[in-house]
Amino acid sequence: MNPVPRGVPSPLIYLNNAATTWPKPPEVCAEVTRCLETPFFEHGRSTAGGVTDYPSATRDALAVFFHAEEPDHFIFTQSATDSLNLLIHGFVKNQKTPFHAITTELEHTSVLRPLHTLEGEGRLTLSTLPFYEGRIDLPEIKKAIQSDTRLVVMTHGSNVLGSLQNIRPVAEYCASNDIFLIVDGSQTVGQIPVNLSEIPAGAFVFTGHKALFGLPGIGGFYLPDPDAIATVRQGGTGTDSSTLVHPQDMPQKFEAGTPNYPGIASLLAGIRFIERFGQDAITNKCRGLTALFTKELKKVTDLTLYTPSPDLPVVSFNIRDLNNDEAGYILANAYGIITRTGLHCAPLVHERIDGGKGCIRASFSYFTTPDECRVATDAIREVAESADSQVHPD
Amino acid sequence: MQILRSIQTKTCVDGSLMKEYVLDEPLSEGFLKFLANFGTVRSLEQLRKPYFSFEKDLFISIKGFTGNNIVEVRYKKEFQDLVADYFHLLLFYYRQDESGIASLKGIEESIREKMRVRLGPSKGNRP
Repeated sequence: MNPVPRGVPSPLIYLNNAATTWPKPPEVCAEVTRCLETPFFEHGRSTAGGVTDYPSATRDALAVFFHAEEPDHFIFTQSATDSLNLLIHGFVKNQKTPFHAITTELEHTSVLRPLHTLEGEGRLTLSTLPFYEGRIDLPEIKKAIQSDTRLVVMTHGSNVLGSLQNIRPVAEYCASNDIFLIVDGSQTVGQIPVNLSEIPAGAFVFTGHKALFGLPGIGGFYLPDPDAIATVRQGGTGTDSSTLVHPQDMPQKFEAGTPNYPGIASLLAGIRFIERFGQDAITNKCRGLTALFTKELKKVTDLTLYTPSPDLPVVSFNIRDLNNDEAGYILANAYGIITRTGLHCAPLVHERIDGGKGCIRASFSYFTTPDECRVATDAIREVAESADSQVHPD
Repeated sequence: MQILRSIQTKTCVDGSLMKEYVLDEPLSEGFLKFLANFGTVRSLEQLRKPYFSFEKDLFISIKGFTGNNIVEVRYKKEFQDLVADYFHLLLFYYRQDESGIASLKGIEESIREKMRVRLGPSKGNRP
């Protein structure tokens, strides 16, 4: 089990890694400390020399990690939600007339809410595609295409069902039909190998605080063609300060204001950690944990497992006769097992799988151990078996 | 039983207001029996810690563990202002045993009357 810092209930089994990974690798903590202990340095913003230019170093690391051509086309944001807002609103700002957009029921509210807002403003019409067995494949998207479809926004992996989308054919189709595709890679980056040289998406969004092991507050996106997206933020870039026109060079075009240096440093260290252990080794370990966890849960009667074999280390379930909120409360306070309950910011998925009531989600990281999975599934079994309890009527 | 302090407050997805309190003594079986006079008590006793929940439509819900002095209370969204003191009333009248049950039922009826007035005659919902 994880070493538990002072002030945290012990013992603690942390199975909420699809929200934010914990613990962070020691080198991430060390890099953030090093970043805070040295003067911040970035070309154009400081004369401090001889220390790490974290934004540039991290863009280079991201380009290698993602097999992407242009380091300067990686944009730092505060989160995937921030990235998606910049991209969606920026794309719409570039369009002279209202158009048709496509998204899916699997999406997070970071996609659904901006699109819903823009639909309400009459800037676009929206088709939200249903999923089948956790997936939305290219034929479904093709069927939804209209003559004025210009935008598709979809997830690479569901944060509730743990299902991986076959994104490459979707990206190839969109690229060859002048449709801008925004891929939300929040749940996949760091969990599986992501090779952007093989995924010709219009933009690919990632977050730092999940499987890249960075701090909360750092995210980003890769944008091959900057002209596709208009800027929705202007401000200080440390360059071209004599003009009031916001620079259009990358990455300044989308980065106004002082960057989150400690967050970027954490991202750099997180990527180095993954490279040190190997993405394949991390992917395989997490798949093994997921298989173990689901295998044990399948033995529990009175339990609904929403994806029998998730592609990603995300296992969602409900215990019969016990609402998910209560189950999560019991697991946390009686067993020290941290999960996430409720709607997971994905209301349309839950509308389909549990009538909008929500569920319990257990999610793993490289630091989760098989023993923790066994202890957790034993506890879940105990809770499920106790759920047919005494009820004192009113 | 008394509240020593509130350690967490948040608004839940369903609009209810959640507060987590530290009490001056552990929650007991006696308190659960008292609660059962006012709503539905559910207990799961075979767990590592004996869990209970209390549900009272339109008023509050409570969850916690017997033997523990931390309790989570959710004040339902619809009449939050009318039920804001209800948990405090439960703790207060618990100390008075049988007479407390009758007194609190009287207060509860006056709260329900205010709910009825607020809903109006056409709503059909009879708290």
